[in-house]
Amino acid sequence: MTMPHLAEDTAPVAVALPRARAGNLWLVAPGVLWMVLFLVLPIAMMVYVSFWTQTTFKIEPTLTLQSWITFFSSDTYLGALWTTIRIWLIVLATTLLVGYPAALFVGLFVKNKTLQTVLLVLCVIPFWTSFLIRVLAWRPMLGKEGAINLILMKLGIVSQPIEVLLFSELSVIIGMTQIYCVFMVGPIAFMLGRIDPSIIEAAQDLGAGFWRIFRTIILPLSMPGVVVGAIFVSVMVLGEFATSAALSGRKVNLLGNIIVTQVGSLKWAFAAVAGVILTILMGAVVAVLLRVVDLRKEL
Amino acid sequence: MTAVLHLRDVVKHYGDTRALDRINLSLPSDAYISLLGPSGSGKTTLLRVIAGFERLEAGEISFQGSRIDTLPPHARGIGFVFQNFALFPHLSVEDNIAFGLKNSAINPVTDPGVVKRRVRDIIALVGLTGLEDRGVSQISGGQKQRVALARTLVTEPKMVLLDEPLGALDANLRMRMRSELRSIRERCGVTFLHVTGSETEALAMGDTVLVLDRNRIAQHGDADTIYNRPCSPAVARFLNCYNLLPGRISGEAFETAAGSLPLGGLRQSSENPVYAIRYDRVSIRPQDAAPGVDEAGVEATFIASEYTGAAINSFFTLADGSVFEVEQHLSHAAPSSYEPQTAYRLAWNREDALVYS
Repeated sequence: MTMPHLAEDTAPVAVALPRARAGNLWLVAPGVLWMVLFLVLPIAMMVYVSFWTQTTFKIEPTLTLQSWITFFSSDTYLGALWTTIRIWLIVLATTLLVGYPAALFVGLFVKNKTLQTVLLVLCVIPFWTSFLIRVLAWRPMLGKEGAINLILMKLGIVSQPIEVLLFSELSVIIGMTQIYCVFMVGPIAFMLGRIDPSIIEAAQDLGAGFWRIFRTIILPLSMPGVVVGAIFVSVMVLGEFATSAALSGRKVNLLGNIIVTQVGSLKWAFAAVAGVILTILMGAVVAVLLRVVDLRKEL
Repeated sequence: MTAVLHLRDVVKHYGDTRALDRINLSLPSDAYISLLGPSGSGKTTLLRVIAGFERLEAGEISFQGSRIDTLPPHARGIGFVFQNFALFPHLSVEDNIAFGLKNSAINPVTDPGVVKRRVRDIIALVGLTGLEDRGVSQISGGQKQRVALARTLVTEPKMVLLDEPLGALDANLRMRMRSELRSIRERCGVTFLHVTGSETEALAMGDTVLVLDRNRIAQHGDADTIYNRPCSPAVARFLNCYNLLPGRISGEAFETAAGSLPLGGLRQSSENPVYAIRYDRVSIRPQDAAPGVDEAGVEATFIASEYTGAAINSFFTLADGSVFEVEQHLSHAAPSSYEPQTAYRLAWNREDALVYS
């Protein structure tokens, strides 16, 4: 009586698992077409243009290494590359420093799922205003006669306004940390929220204290979230130009700012060199981060 | 047998609902104790209170002569095995088991050689040899169960609490793990407190069986006593082997909606009078069969039967519409077939009944 049932049960399962046949590949055709037209070709074009000959007013498709030589022999441009890497590393550290505890609170210590969602939405609320306004709002906050200096002076903590707060590298870092922190909080809180509470109880029962549990259980299990967050923040910070332009008073030049100025003065070949270097840098950063954790296994 | 764990008037609420209602309990050392209760009876709460994951509101718990209800979980010397095993997903079998030794806040084992040896011993004890380096997602349910148990046993607790430890396993494995758990316990000599919602599991495994009903301990005894003499209609109902007929005593008979039954058997006190007769004590006769000496019986309509291998369970409806179940063991006689929607007479010896009044 059970045998015919078994046969009936297994038959549809075999049919329900179709192999990827050639006909099905058409499903990815629009996506592939789109990416080739608007991603692969432009990147190839950018690499190609970086070898074109640039004179003051025009650009010719005669291949030359001149733009590359200029980039690597100029202190300004190498300095911009270094500043980009330095600010990226600092912002990565500050977003992690500010974001991880926040994510720990939201993802692990808030047990109520509704409250968890509300808190995460609160993190996103600043994004309801435009990017530029969010950046510019730091000026009245950090300026010489801005809110922070005013309060510090009123309280008598400082007698002179702190000038380094605005139009400096510090203001760029403060601004970027605020803008990109949420991209760190989200993925980490998600991973922490997936940790089964009984795993932590089991660790408690086996005698481990909070810091031990954090180091041996919570931190390793949240690493995929840290890596995803770090990829988000890295890609965005490495390509940044607006925050540094608005908050550094043009004192901090990132590779992004170089590209903007070069394109503005129609120096396409040189902008392409900076673009290629930035793309390679981002690719390397993402590749290294993906080495840290096998995301396919963890997610 | 000396008692190791005492609970006195333990009370716990979740919001307005009372999860534990003045629990009093003494558990012997070196024994297998099973705690049976339907879902919502507070059995997991009781376990979590003993383990220290939940604070109790009133009462006290003492373990080996000292109060433990204010201590954190790890300071109580009581191990806990979670229903879903709660293994550390990023660690290997060996590292899962070594976790408590290496990371305990109190006297961690720092010598890697000692850790290695104790882990190896416990791995051999629970029968996981050869799987040390596997990830915990690469082993079967039964093996996960053993890792969860080994992880607790390696820290040498005096008592182990198991929260429905077999619930996540398939039926076949569950049967094998029953005897496995009992033999592992005997080899370690610690007390196991095993919580389950399955009456067969509770009866098969426990040297002592506790029945929890409406957040209180309803009965406490060995399996035979619990099965044959449940002390209340509620306990009889959990055992899933008694027909329960509500009614009232009138003179020398128990009046139910299905008819009057002569009194007999064991009488126990209860708020709601109930007449109970075990499924396998009832015989099925033609409708017009004359009742034998000392027999009680009701008239019932046959509905359907269910073949379970060693026995056949037949379902009848009584005059008031309630279902009456009869279990016939096939080793006693070949199954006879009954006509659906036909009346039969169900009879039993009046001394086999349990009367609660």
